[in-house]
Amino acid sequence: MTNLAQAVYVEMLKARRSRVSLFTALGILILPLAAGFFMIILKDPELARRVGLISTKAHLVAGSADWPSYLGLLTQSIAGGGLVLFGLVVIWVFGREFSDRTAKDLLALPTPRSAVVLSKFVVTAMWCAALTAVLCLFGLAVGVAIGFPPASHQAILEGFLAIVAAALMVIALVTPMGFFASAGRGYLAPMGTTFLILLLAQVIAAAGWGEYFPWSIPGVFSQGQPLGAASYAILLLTSLAGLAATLRWWERADQAR
Amino acid sequence: METAIETHALVKRYGDVTAVDGLSLHVARGEIYAFLGLNGAGKTTTVRLLLGMVRPTSGEVTVLGKQIRFGLDKPWDRVGYLVETADAYPELTVRENLEAVRRLRPGVESAAVDRAIERLGLGAYANRRSGTLSLGNSQRLGLAKALLHRPDLLLLDEPANGLDPAGIVEIRNLLIELSRQEGVTVFLCSHILAEVARLAQRIGILHQGRLLQELGLEDLERNRRRRLVVRARDADAALVALRGGGWSPVLAAGGEIEIRDAAAIERPDDVAAGLVQAGCPPTMLMVEEEDLEQYFLRLVGQAGGGA
Repeated sequence: MTNLAQAVYVEMLKARRSRVSLFTALGILILPLAAGFFMIILKDPELARRVGLISTKAHLVAGSADWPSYLGLLTQSIAGGGLVLFGLVVIWVFGREFSDRTAKDLLALPTPRSAVVLSKFVVTAMWCAALTAVLCLFGLAVGVAIGFPPASHQAILEGFLAIVAAALMVIALVTPMGFFASAGRGYLAPMGTTFLILLLAQVIAAAGWGEYFPWSIPGVFSQGQPLGAASYAILLLTSLAGLAATLRWWERADQAR
Repeated sequence: METAIETHALVKRYGDVTAVDGLSLHVARGEIYAFLGLNGAGKTTTVRLLLGMVRPTSGEVTVLGKQIRFGLDKPWDRVGYLVETADAYPELTVRENLEAVRRLRPGVESAAVDRAIERLGLGAYANRRSGTLSLGNSQRLGLAKALLHRPDLLLLDEPANGLDPAGIVEIRNLLIELSRQEGVTVFLCSHILAEVARLAQRIGILHQGRLLQELGLEDLERNRRRRLVVRARDADAALVALRGGGWSPVLAAGGEIEIRDAAAIERPDDVAAGLVQAGCPPTMLMVEEEDLEQYFLRLVGQAGGGA
């Protein structure tokens, strides 16, 4: 008996009581607000200049203010910003056990360490999925409030499905942060690693190799480029490697602190 | 007698540092065993080795009849522990922290949470976030977590840490009660030697990773030094009189005369009578017994370094 369900309950309790859950929810709201802001400017640049939203000297990136563009922008933002936000969720869930010095209380229980680790990944996946739902609902509300030209239900549905697909890719890609937070015994090392990965993802994507670097793949996907089987395989392997490394670390590493 | 804890030639090295060096321990079931040592002696590493938190470099650990090794079945459902400091999730209340532990220990009934709260005197703080607790109450919460499932073996690192004098007595009585009435084995590490002397049935003295000595209370009684301290108005005359009486007095600091002869310590009245007959009656006569602290420091000092 692994007692996984009870371990998930405990992790949910810790997540619910934490302020970090509120902060991440507020963080995800920024994405539709920022995308909506760009759409308002695109919709009527002169108005935006008059009310001071942008400088009179601003040069706007070409684009159109409509549902597909707006949802495309949200997909890009979750592919990039999601890595930071979802990474933060995983880093907090694992890293807090070390900064609060509670990890030792999880190591010699009848509930196996593997169940403890899996419960953390289950809860972080659920947490990130909930953030994605918040993003979609709030994104819809912001879109309706802006008043885009009518678009087909099919186009809007496809736009939201792309957001969900990009979010799922990011959720799969943040499992290594669990390992970095555990091996780094806290927040600082995994945060630094996450930002380094984000930087590398940008550079590698700009060099044209994005479909082969795991953390660039959601970005490539969000640009509307079709992904090959290799990219999906890399995604899956990275996710499993993160999971396996974290499990192995909790099972085998010396817990001397 | 059945063994609760057994280690054989246990070694733990971190790089060049040997934290535990060839430790062989036997703790019987139902016993209160105290582990004494200076900071860095290897006490906490030993507890972590017993709990499978760190892997031994060599040697074996058996807890409640089960060998502690990766991949083998562990006895953790019967073990309660408090390692180093009592930590809890600060945003959860005392009750929620205990509930979290209960859920991670399958088969523990929900009433166990209330029982632990009551037993550790945490009733007034049950719904308070643990992050706001005093050090003493945090320690009580740590002990409540260790006791929640009525374990057969308790591994406690500094159980009296942060407790006030009344709390220390309360926890001492609780541990004695658990040992005597419920047959719980208690293995504790402590710096508070007077507390250990009152609580433990057997004491292991650890120094620089090595077990210097294992002794029961009767061994301590036998091994600790005793001396007769004498004061007289004329110390020199008293020294002459004592030597004349067949004793071996030594002039100690502060003008006190010290006699270590067993006969003098057993019958100080003979010493007094001898001094009176010699015309230099004692102004003070006192049998001093080395306590655990002095014994420990002497032993550690002989072993080199530290004290």
